[in-house]
Amino acid sequence: MSNVWYYVFTLVFFLFDYFILAMGLNIQYGETGILNFAFIGFVAIGSYVTGALALPSSVGTGQHYIFGLGLPFPVNLLLGGVAASGFAVVVALITLRRLRTDYLAMVLISLSLVLYDVTNNFIPLFNGADGLYNVPEPFAGVLELTTNSFIPFFAAVTGAIALLLWLVMSRITRSPQGRTFRAIRDDDVVAAALGKDVFRTQLKSMLIGSFYAGIGGGLIIEFAGSFNPTAWLPGETFVVFAVIIVGGVGNNVGMLVGSLVVETLLIHLPAFLPSIPNHPGLIEYFDTVVVGVLLMAMLWFRPQGIVPERLRKASSLGGSDHALVARGSDAAAAARPAGVAAAGPKGER
Amino acid sequence: MTADPVPAPDRTTPRAALSCDGITKAFQGVRAVNGATFAVPEGLVTALIGPNGAGKTTVVNILSGSMTCDGGTERVGDAEVTNWPSHRIARLGLMRTFQLSRELGGLTVLENLLVAAPGQAGESLLNVFLRPSLVRRQERENVERALDVLDTYGLFHLRDNRASDLSGGQKKLLEISRAVMASPRILLLDEPMAGVNPALIERIGGHILDLKATGVTVLMIEHNLNVVERICDHVIVLAEGRTLATGRLGDLRENAEVVQAYLGEVIDASTHG
Amino acid sequence: MQLFWLSVGFGLVTSSVLAISSVGLSLQFGITNYINFAYGDYMALGALVTYVVNNELLHWNIWIALVFGSLAIGVLAVVVNRLILGPFARRFTKTFYVLIVTFGLSLVMLNLEYAIWGADVRFYEMPIDRAMHVGPLLLTKYQLIVMGIAVALMLGVHAMLKTTRLGKSMRAMSDNTTLAMTSGIDTKRVTTVTWFLSGTLAGLAGTVLGISEGNLNPASGELFLFVIFAAVIVGGIGSIYGAMAGAVLIGLATEVSAAFINPAYKLDTAFVILILTLLIRPAGLFARPGKA
Repeated sequence: MSNVWYYVFTLVFFLFDYFILAMGLNIQYGETGILNFAFIGFVAIGSYVTGALALPSSVGTGQHYIFGLGLPFPVNLLLGGVAASGFAVVVALITLRRLRTDYLAMVLISLSLVLYDVTNNFIPLFNGADGLYNVPEPFAGVLELTTNSFIPFFAAVTGAIALLLWLVMSRITRSPQGRTFRAIRDDDVVAAALGKDVFRTQLKSMLIGSFYAGIGGGLIIEFAGSFNPTAWLPGETFVVFAVIIVGGVGNNVGMLVGSLVVETLLIHLPAFLPSIPNHPGLIEYFDTVVVGVLLMAMLWFRPQGIVPERLRKASSLGGSDHALVARGSDAAAAARPAGVAAAGPKGER
Repeated sequence: MTADPVPAPDRTTPRAALSCDGITKAFQGVRAVNGATFAVPEGLVTALIGPNGAGKTTVVNILSGSMTCDGGTERVGDAEVTNWPSHRIARLGLMRTFQLSRELGGLTVLENLLVAAPGQAGESLLNVFLRPSLVRRQERENVERALDVLDTYGLFHLRDNRASDLSGGQKKLLEISRAVMASPRILLLDEPMAGVNPALIERIGGHILDLKATGVTVLMIEHNLNVVERICDHVIVLAEGRTLATGRLGDLRENAEVVQAYLGEVIDASTHG
Repeated sequence: MQLFWLSVGFGLVTSSVLAISSVGLSLQFGITNYINFAYGDYMALGALVTYVVNNELLHWNIWIALVFGSLAIGVLAVVVNRLILGPFARRFTKTFYVLIVTFGLSLVMLNLEYAIWGADVRFYEMPIDRAMHVGPLLLTKYQLIVMGIAVALMLGVHAMLKTTRLGKSMRAMSDNTTLAMTSGIDTKRVTTVTWFLSGTLAGLAGTVLGISEGNLNPASGELFLFVIFAAVIVGGIGSIYGAMAGAVLIGLATEVSAAFINPAYKLDTAFVILILTLLIRPAGLFARPGKA
């Protein structure tokens, strides 16, 4: 396989992977309004746990890490997602109940850095600054994949997982639960006054989103075979925010579009450009600047993103044609004199 | 509480649907509510009146759980619910509206109502994935009922509009219809008629009487004494965070203290404006 | 015991830098009611501008360069507020938007700084300095000057808030912007001045951080920002005096713990204190009602 295809399938992998990550952040921020500035930390947890579960016992590998159970794919991947969710519960219990938006953002971004710091310095956990490497290729013993065939194959696997997660997410966001998420996003005081347990609902949203983060992170280490702290500085969270804001907050299809524009075209494509002599890293620096400027421009000129959130119309919510036709004309309703009985507000309890 | 502080209104003596005793609340050292004590009789429409800064909205915020109080007790029926979180009080059947309409702006008008539907199976993800037919059936019922409510409140044609796009008056109606969708036993309305045109005041008044007819207890903050006179059975006067008097409006007009503290000023204002 | 006193000395220096930067962040938060996530990058840019006039172009004395670097960031903060943050804050009522914008601004500034100055660690041109004993503490002349600057600034900020018209306007706006506006305060002017002060303090703090640490690079401000967050939250967000107290507490705690545990976990000490504060006294030690 030529180098070009290697690049193309790497891009395809990241397209799908960031689609998954974006869906995860979208349910937290886009649907529920939780400004999770620690998102990349949950991605990292998924990645490390997935990797450390896939790796054999650390004795004699020259690496230090916990677990080392040699679990097969996708068991390790699922557990990576579960670990990220579990951590989200702990974080939510400490922070969500007490903090208003900007406090929460400050604490979460600090948390992201502290996770980073501890992982970097505490070697027995996930091999410190070197990170995990030589993670066994998924299906290594089952399929006879060469390095060349693995990349397109795994890009396809990631695509399939992304599709499945998209179906699941669509069902969640279309359900009454999804509606409650959005109610809390729009006004949590009103949602509470309508009987919604805001904290519990936010907790659910954190849990689901972090699971997606963990899966997306796990797929990265499965794909690359390695993962280390340079991949998840706190600023990386911002890239995922850029994906969802450019794509269209609150719209799952927008996440795919955002991933294509921001992650694939802006972040990963330029990485294949030859670097400028004597200025190592210059392309990446400008790359990030472009993403930042694009995000601000997008927020100003098109805050709804490329694919805006759809309004859920009555007909899509189960209001049958019959039900819609059966009701009187509105002119009549507006002119109706006071005194017509209200629709049975009593009962049910 | 030892005795019902509400002087029995004429005819019957309804029990209190909602009551509070000695509620206090301070903001940065300033006492906004200073021992408010009253009972809201069941099945009637009660007005909460008082001069600006009397602490009316703060009291409604406390009673609905949107805010905690520093002292005092609150009861819904016989249950003590002091400083319960908002959602738990709401689940007892106490709904509120807000003085400045707070629509869920990103949702449609219909969705605003659907959010309020009580006991939705689809709010559990287990049900969403394992019992989809139950969720769908219930959703269909809720949509039907929400459309009925919207029809009653004259918002049916706006069902698919984004709530943030409504006009001020429409938002007021949405506030009330959303609370009604939750099948409340007790409804706290914070100035439901403020800033709307006279025709709409008429309509909202009618809706409130309709609700009363179906057995809903209403407590409403209202400045317009004409409205109070017409639709409220009982009046609570709040001044400087304290309950100044309770009773029928006609009786209160003869209470020198009330007139001095409040009514005179308002009657003047209402005759001038 | 010697180690303890040594670390206390370091702690006081860190506290000084923290106090300057936390007060700068708090002043602006009090007025605009949102956190500026690019504050750390303002600090780094201040340090780098100082570096340019100190080392590269003009070879100014470090203290003159410091004044220049600080004022430059003050001006930058005003310009950024005029062109970007102010318009966003006015247009979107939800804090989300402007927070994300400051987060984006932070990334843009950091990467521009990297693009211009690279990731190399740099040093100021300063005469060699020897440590001296001050009571039980061992401090260099520069460290003493940094502490002196911090104390002078804190007294200055205190005096400004209590006695000047500007300070009173700032306090009024911080309590209630709408009320301040209706009572005739020129809120736009106060906001501009506040951004200037906040930026100046950021630039100054970034430079003295570089002086006290002995080195600087574009990322140093961003890392320090998290320590500032700890100081302002522990102190009680929006409270200027809380920020000062939080700075002393966090500064001492990080350095003393660094001496006895692993210095690599300095940041994490600050975070642990932050979490404990949230659990025990969520509004901070010197909470102001309504801001939590």
